[in-house]
Amino acid sequence: MPPDHTAAADNTGTPSPIFAIQKARTRFFGLTFDETIRVFFGGNAFVAVIVLALITFFLFREGSQFFGQNRDSLRTYRLAGLEYVDIIRQQEEDHTALTRYLFDIRLKAVVKLTEEGVDAAEAKRRLAKFDDYAERYGDTIVPVRGLVSELTEVATDIKTRYNENEDYKVARQQFLASGMKAEAEAIVVKNLDFSREILAITGTFPAYEQINTEYAEALKAAIAELPVLPVPELQPRLERFRELNREYLATFPTRTELLKNWNNNAPVGWSESFTQFIFGTRWLTASFWQDWYGIIPLFVGSLMISAIALFIAVPLGVGAAIYVNQIATPQEQKLIKPAIEFISAIPSVVLGFFGIAVLGQALRALSQWEALSWVPGFPYSERLNALTAGCLLALIAVPTIFTLAEDAINNVPRAFKEASFALGASRMQTIVRIIVPAALSGIVSAVLLGLGRVMGETMVVLLCAGNRIAIPDFTAGITAFVQPVHTMTGIIAQEMGEVVRGGIHYRALFVVGLVLFFIALLLNFLAQKIVRKYRISIG
Amino acid sequence: MEKSTFWVFRLATYLILIAGFSVFGDIVVKGSATVFGAFKTTSTFPYFTNTFLTEAPESLYVFEHKGEKREMGDREYRAFREKETAAALAAGQPAPQFKADSYVYSAGGIWPCIVGTVLLVVGSMTIALLLGVSSAIFLSEYARDGAFVRFVRLAILNLAGVPSIVFGLFGFGMFVIYFDWNVSLLAGWFTLAFMVLPVVITASEEALKAVPKGFREGSLALGATKWQTIRSNVLPYALPGILTSSILGIARVAGETAPIMFTAAYVVRDKLPWDVEKISDFFFQGVMALPYHIYVVSSKIPQNEYTARVQYGTAFVFLGIVALIAASSIVLRNKLRGRYKW
Repeated sequence: MPPDHTAAADNTGTPSPIFAIQKARTRFFGLTFDETIRVFFGGNAFVAVIVLALITFFLFREGSQFFGQNRDSLRTYRLAGLEYVDIIRQQEEDHTALTRYLFDIRLKAVVKLTEEGVDAAEAKRRLAKFDDYAERYGDTIVPVRGLVSELTEVATDIKTRYNENEDYKVARQQFLASGMKAEAEAIVVKNLDFSREILAITGTFPAYEQINTEYAEALKAAIAELPVLPVPELQPRLERFRELNREYLATFPTRTELLKNWNNNAPVGWSESFTQFIFGTRWLTASFWQDWYGIIPLFVGSLMISAIALFIAVPLGVGAAIYVNQIATPQEQKLIKPAIEFISAIPSVVLGFFGIAVLGQALRALSQWEALSWVPGFPYSERLNALTAGCLLALIAVPTIFTLAEDAINNVPRAFKEASFALGASRMQTIVRIIVPAALSGIVSAVLLGLGRVMGETMVVLLCAGNRIAIPDFTAGITAFVQPVHTMTGIIAQEMGEVVRGGIHYRALFVVGLVLFFIALLLNFLAQKIVRKYRISIG
Repeated sequence: MEKSTFWVFRLATYLILIAGFSVFGDIVVKGSATVFGAFKTTSTFPYFTNTFLTEAPESLYVFEHKGEKREMGDREYRAFREKETAAALAAGQPAPQFKADSYVYSAGGIWPCIVGTVLLVVGSMTIALLLGVSSAIFLSEYARDGAFVRFVRLAILNLAGVPSIVFGLFGFGMFVIYFDWNVSLLAGWFTLAFMVLPVVITASEEALKAVPKGFREGSLALGATKWQTIRSNVLPYALPGILTSSILGIARVAGETAPIMFTAAYVVRDKLPWDVEKISDFFFQGVMALPYHIYVVSSKIPQNEYTARVQYGTAFVFLGIVALIAASSIVLRNKLRGRYKW
């Protein structure tokens, strides 16, 4: 707070006429020298506000057109019939998943047989019936697969011609704009009649129906006669396989209905473009078929790594804060506090390099250690994964959490502690029952700010997270934590250098930046709110 | 019971320290071999040089020659090859065949990166200090508590939480594209300066507030104007505090990679920054920078014994610089706290 006499001080600029020291005052835009300085400093104070506004503005400026472009892309996807093909393709992919289920059973059976001391040739002989069955089951999809690949070519062709045409249009516009009429005339724009082109795709519906009916029959026949496994323990899994197939078959009528009613002229709304980004589960770029910009895989990756980092950093950071503030001797305090501050100065890129060069291998070696095989997810084979990145990020979050939590504990009024002691509580009781609850709001906000730090960290995740763009397979439970992931910060850093300026991919990255920006603001806001709401009034 | 719980807390604390210093130790031990192994004697003053610190990055060639395994940097390798070929031709033998494995950036040194980092830090800290100190002077000397000040403080607090990659995107969108500065020193300076602004403002304000009220009151009572008071009675006493706390900002600026990735850093550049035709070109050129170089050598080239040297060496030099800055900040601040007691 400035001293209270500022008001009086301001008056010194205009001496009263009694003293009559007449001096021509330099004035800038009607302000005295002192006022000018004040305005100058005030303007500088405003810089922080301006920068925040500029960040918002420029992220929006580059990113906002994304949703329009994404809408166009989705519209083409529908107009050119790619969507239609994908509906059938989904059916094929579901079948592939079921085949994989069969393979999984076989793998388990082989493991089991080997454990029983059966050699490979014998195991193969015993599983021959099953293999035969699996092969027959796998073959049932062949007609559908043939149709899909046929349609894929047709749809790709339509899309390519459409895109070429669009490019011609743009080129023509550019020629016209720069006054080169002859060149513009030379470009022949052939507008595509989608409703006619699409017949090549939708026209196959009767054929599809025929194929589908036969396919359904084949499937039903296949699940009617399940083979008998040489390993009785696995038989329930086959029953489950039959169940899954029934569920799969039940989706057929809806799919047929979907295809029948499918219309390539159905409008693509803004909301669709928006939901494809916010809830889209695919981030797929530079693909020959269709590009998808769904943030979910990246968001989940960021979240998972942050969870790992906080899982490690919160106990360590808060524990250290309690120790340093309440338990440690003054000499220890003098040593530990600067040391942790020093750790916070280690640049993140150096930590990332350490992860690649040392920690990745070390953790993998640790996971393959026999004595630790009870840990879920161990042993694993990917050197760079969410766990590696999370461990390093913990080291980044610890100093933040430690410093802020220590501050919060330090701010607990001394009287609380003394009163507790006076009532006969032990040091332990005082810490657990009095100090920590009193400082809890500060600790929570410290954790939130640590989370913000971790979410926004780029270099460590870019180098160590494995950079695989896919939602981790959570069906395996907690072992998903050792899978490679990609993150929001990582994707910006990785792809920004390679994209075409102004393209949809480029804009998508800016929108990801916007999301990050708002997450950071939200976390900051929450942290402040918590501190203010639950602050203990002293006295 | 109480003792054992305290031990758990103690363990947590020391675990942090061990983790931090094992990272530090690994890089120091492995990296110092590269740096200190690169000393060479020369014939001119000061009679030694360190090739790792004073040369530009080169490709490393590993090959076998006359049954002997040799490693050479790009220039040395070419000269060697020419010499050997000429010698062989002179002796009337067929030219020797060279089959070399090459590893980019793995020979030579990191001089351009050091220069680039220093330039980035100096430029951005100058901007940040000018803006930040003025801002702090307003907040602590002029402003009265009100909606405006609260708004400004909120903005500063939020700015501090913005991820560095978002600053990078912003700098790219505003300076590189909108202002059309391209990938340049100037764009990097402003991006980094804005990033570090909250640190500088907070540090400066703290230092200004540490100057006792009496100093201002005395000056004002003698008839000095507000500005005269600040200039002669507040700033001189706050300056050491401002500078030492701002050193932490320097460590942050030097250590960040994400903001300069798209705004100022080049993967490789042959010319040194002062090698420009006109002065204005100086500001609009990209530079190599240590953090970005670490990123490049650790992600874009394979990990093996030949590349590990330059990786660890670069990381060691970089960590050394940053640690030195941070340590001096911590030490100076502790000293200062002891010196000024009003």
